[in-house]
Amino acid sequence: MSKINLILSREFTERVRKKSFIITTLLTPILMITLMAAPTLIMMLGKTSTKKVVVVDNSPERFVGRQLKSGSTVEFRLLDTGITAAEARAQYSNADRAYGILIIGSDILSNPGNLQLILNDASSMSVEESINGQIQDILRTERLSRYEIENIDRILADAGIRVNVQTLKNNVLAVDEDSMEATSTTMSWLLGLTLGMLLYFILIVYGQQVLQSVIDEKQTRVLDVIITSCTPFELMMGKILGIALVAALQIVIWAVLVIGVSSFVMPLLIDPASVQAISDPMMGSAISSFTDVGFLLSLFVQLLVFAVGGFLFYASMYAAIGSAVDTPQDAAQFNSIIMMPVILAIIVMMNIMNDPNSGLVFWCSMIPFTSPIVMMARIPFGIPAWQVIVSIIVLFISFFIMTWIAARIFRVGVFMHGKKPTWKDLAAWIKMK
Amino acid sequence: MDTVLKIEHISKTYTGHRALDDVSMEIPRGSIYGLLGPNGAGKTTLIRVVNRMILPDSGKVFFEDREITAEDIYRIGYMPEERGLYKKMKVGEQAIFFARMRGLSKFEAIKRLRKWFDRMELTEWWDRKVEDLSKGMAQKVQFIVTVAHEPKLLIFDEPFSGFDPINTNLLKDEILNLRDRGATIIFSTHNMESVEALCDNITLINKSRNVLSGSVGEIRRRAGGNTFRVVFSGEYDKFTRAISDKAELIGEPENLIGGYTQHKLHIKLDKDIRPVIGALNESVNLRSFQEIIPSMNDIFIRAVNGTL
Repeated sequence: MSKINLILSREFTERVRKKSFIITTLLTPILMITLMAAPTLIMMLGKTSTKKVVVVDNSPERFVGRQLKSGSTVEFRLLDTGITAAEARAQYSNADRAYGILIIGSDILSNPGNLQLILNDASSMSVEESINGQIQDILRTERLSRYEIENIDRILADAGIRVNVQTLKNNVLAVDEDSMEATSTTMSWLLGLTLGMLLYFILIVYGQQVLQSVIDEKQTRVLDVIITSCTPFELMMGKILGIALVAALQIVIWAVLVIGVSSFVMPLLIDPASVQAISDPMMGSAISSFTDVGFLLSLFVQLLVFAVGGFLFYASMYAAIGSAVDTPQDAAQFNSIIMMPVILAIIVMMNIMNDPNSGLVFWCSMIPFTSPIVMMARIPFGIPAWQVIVSIIVLFISFFIMTWIAARIFRVGVFMHGKKPTWKDLAAWIKMK
Repeated sequence: MDTVLKIEHISKTYTGHRALDDVSMEIPRGSIYGLLGPNGAGKTTLIRVVNRMILPDSGKVFFEDREITAEDIYRIGYMPEERGLYKKMKVGEQAIFFARMRGLSKFEAIKRLRKWFDRMELTEWWDRKVEDLSKGMAQKVQFIVTVAHEPKLLIFDEPFSGFDPINTNLLKDEILNLRDRGATIIFSTHNMESVEALCDNITLINKSRNVLSGSVGEIRRRAGGNTFRVVFSGEYDKFTRAISDKAELIGEPENLIGGYTQHKLHIKLDKDIRPVIGALNESVNLRSFQEIIPSMNDIFIRAVNGTL
């Protein structure tokens, strides 16, 4: 077994056996799934209670109150004429009797603002929306009818349309529009954000582990023992690859858990009829993404490639720094420089929603310092395959260059004790014969 | 001379600091060689050059008459002064890891390590983590890790630090044992008693330079400068007259309990000591006549201060 292999398997087994690894590996997907499923679950749970609203209508002939329609959100009860607002408030003063009292002003037609909802319970946006929407329609119809246009009812019925844009991904292979994948910008953005953050987590957390591992060996002087039985390059590569393997294992476990839950557990939780009943395109797309195994699988494969590539690229920098310093405190200064492109990537990622193909976003998804995070956040928007491939190639070439530079710093740095190196020292070590 | 390791004119400069200045030495096969010197003299740098951990600016290292190569590293066992073991790793697994890093197969590593653990009374600690071990036990593990692949050349940096007297003796015996089985041993230390007890030869490095080399017996005798201590009873005049033309007196006489007198004297290196003893024996009641051999401790201090 080669030296790299020995070091790699030691790093790998020591880490995988740790409790912290097992805990983060199992908790993260649970957190992810909870986040994904939250909107659906909230929506389903939110539907349970219908709010009862009593109506004191002072409008002429109570034309508003009579036209209010009870639905699943609000149940209206029109009070008899003669009951004043004050009486109604006294009579329906607790939440058990009524959720609220709606008071419609007598001049509501000319003054639509004369409308009050007095609540016995916490306010609810869906109740307010339902009341506003219905009364707006009633008033509009009433005002229009004053123009005495012929067949006004039919015209109004005809004009009462609701628009909801259906965004589809253009796929030339799809036979008809129905088989094209429905997308939602918001959903893609949220998914991209999750993936980008996941990648950020992998780069930083695992990158720091490489840094910490090198510093630890330097501090405990294990390095002196190891380095007499292998070359610095073998040691560095063994470490980086060992930790990369831990990260890869973690992603694979996450993929299996998430895909497993979406293909076996989600269908049981979500009744297909209720999914069809959901008119909200964002929710529909969210649910369809999370039950589409092929989509999830391709996403995880790309995640794995970018996570490994990005990690290797960053890890070699971390290894070089770890070798050059004695304590984590000394590493902080160099660390902050490494963090800068990562922070930039996060900022760019937040702006992807506006235009996933803008110049800034495009270049940030190609340059290896930011590409793993930014590209991962772009992928859910459905970008051309060539861009992904070019980005991967650039990333892996950069990894080789970075490793070469890091190895040159590493071979000198591991034997340096006492003095904190400057950037000039590092440059000198790279050039050293 | 059959040498295992030959160091020729090694110089090494770190930014602005000369760590080694034209240091040469030869380590005879099957000997125990002491590498002495005050802190910061350059011992560790020299050991690192031998281990190929750093390259010298000039000079060469020969291992068994060839210039040392990367492959030779497996035939060297190195125990650094500041011990390095993975704290969170199990003792046995860790020992196997290091043995395999030095070229042993897993099977061979386990076989040899089990034997060593038995001998060092560590068997029951095989599955424990290093952080659970006492300092002395960790030192023993470090020793085993260094020697398990049976290297031809062993380099110990301060091997006895952190050991109680019982374990120090155990370790001394093991080091002598390794030498008897054919290994050559270099050890770097400040503990001069162990140098007297173990080392055949030494090199003393001070301020990056080799200031003293040779066999321990010869160095001590030379440092003693043919000085003797005489204890006698009788008339002092007779004593001075007896040695007047044969030796020179050093210092003043000292009176000892029981009416004895003690005096130091120096005999020229090319002169025989027998006529001195003969003359003294005739004129006074000679109680003892003994060569003064300075301890390695004295020699170390005098060499470092430049008064040797």
